[in-house]
Amino acid sequence: MSEDRQKTRDGEVEEFAEEQASLWRITLSPLAWAAHFVICYGLVALSCAKGLPVESVRQGLIVFSVVVLALIGWIGWRAWRQWDVRETGDYLNQQGKAEDRHRFLGHAAFLLSIISFIGVVFVSLPLLLLEGCG
Amino acid sequence: MGARSGEYGSLRRVDGIGAPFFVLGLPLFLSACSGRQSALDVAGEDAAAISLLFWVMFGAACLLWVAMNGLFFFLSRIRPGQFPDRYVQPLLIGGGILLPTVLLAALLVWGLGLLPDQRAPGDGLRIKVTGEQWWWRVEYWPEGAEAPVVTANEIRMPVGERVEFLLGADKVIHSFWIPALGGKMDMFPGRETRVSLRAERTGVFRGQCAEFCGASHAWMAFETVVMEPDTFDAWLEAEAGDALMPVEGAATRGAALFLSQGCGACHTIRGTEAVGQVGPDLTHVGGRLSLGAGRMGVSTAGFTRWIGHTEALKPEVQMPSYDFLSTEELDDLAQYLVGLK
Repeated sequence: MSEDRQKTRDGEVEEFAEEQASLWRITLSPLAWAAHFVICYGLVALSCAKGLPVESVRQGLIVFSVVVLALIGWIGWRAWRQWDVRETGDYLNQQGKAEDRHRFLGHAAFLLSIISFIGVVFVSLPLLLLEGCG
Repeated sequence: MGARSGEYGSLRRVDGIGAPFFVLGLPLFLSACSGRQSALDVAGEDAAAISLLFWVMFGAACLLWVAMNGLFFFLSRIRPGQFPDRYVQPLLIGGGILLPTVLLAALLVWGLGLLPDQRAPGDGLRIKVTGEQWWWRVEYWPEGAEAPVVTANEIRMPVGERVEFLLGADKVIHSFWIPALGGKMDMFPGRETRVSLRAERTGVFRGQCAEFCGASHAWMAFETVVMEPDTFDAWLEAEAGDALMPVEGAATRGAALFLSQGCGACHTIRGTEAVGQVGPDLTHVGGRLSLGAGRMGVSTAGFTRWIGHTEALKPEVQMPSYDFLSTEELDDLAQYLVGLK
């Protein structure tokens, strides 16, 4: 195997590893949304059933929601940069080259971040508007 | 070709019948909006808030329907052909993402904003209602009361006052709902839920169990009587008292039959030996507007029918039909019960 081919091979492996990480990254925002959902519903139900101080739980969850929104915002921002649509002007990245795949994953992660952000906002609204256990 | 024109012909015929039918039928549908069990025939503050939300959503849905079909008509009939590329992106992002997100968020904020009012603290009177299969155990707790006034299958409340309802259930989940006064609230065994209602006009409104709870779920209803505060206070005082003693022959025989047939094992009639807790309290059953939890009106004939055919009138009810009693005996019992004002 020539040195050149070895280099390309390494490059490919490296690139594959990078795309694999990027593939994981597109799931981060929905995962954050899901975790936020379960933690909010679970904690409120638990504190109401067990008589824990629901007001402190509510305030804690509001802070937690802000943190989750910031996290999703950050993931979304990174995905937007990865998509790089302002630079390339290419919305769809249909070429099937490594670079296109890379940008497409950024595109998908960006859109998923938007929907996750909206989801977290909707789940958080009752924390702001309702008090107590009812 | 022939078959196809035939299809069209039959479609047109259906249209020809459908249009006048629809126009004639419309008042019938609209008449369903009024009445004593309608969330749209508002009689309370909380129902008014919900009905406003409903009408705004209904209006917006109509607007959206007309806009979407108008757009479809415009693009398919008036200006068919290629849709200009420069409109695609704004339409998809604006109409597909931004608009629904903003509208749903606004509705969510509005809807959630209504909830605290429906659980607002009352002005003093609390009414504890327990869902049973298939009737309502009712306790009145006026402010400062140490013992409740126990009754069943009817709610009375003063107009203009916020009344707090503490809800529970015996074996299965029920739901407490007086559409003309406010939203529904589930009743769970082993857990207390709350709803508070403020009636704005006097009248009689029907309440209904709104969560399927078994064979006679549909027959689990009650009357809600909204009264002037003075009238209500007088009623509650009378309701707290013991049952009237029967004076004339038939009712006296009925009272004896009530005890000898063992009715008192399940029913309470305060002031007598009947102290059962299984079924509804009957101390003032003759003064109620309905019999069998909204099953029928209160009358001698009604009681006779109810006691003789309980299982037919309310499937799977715990009370057995006393069809082995003679017509005279049933009539005596009915005379006694209808007299318990």
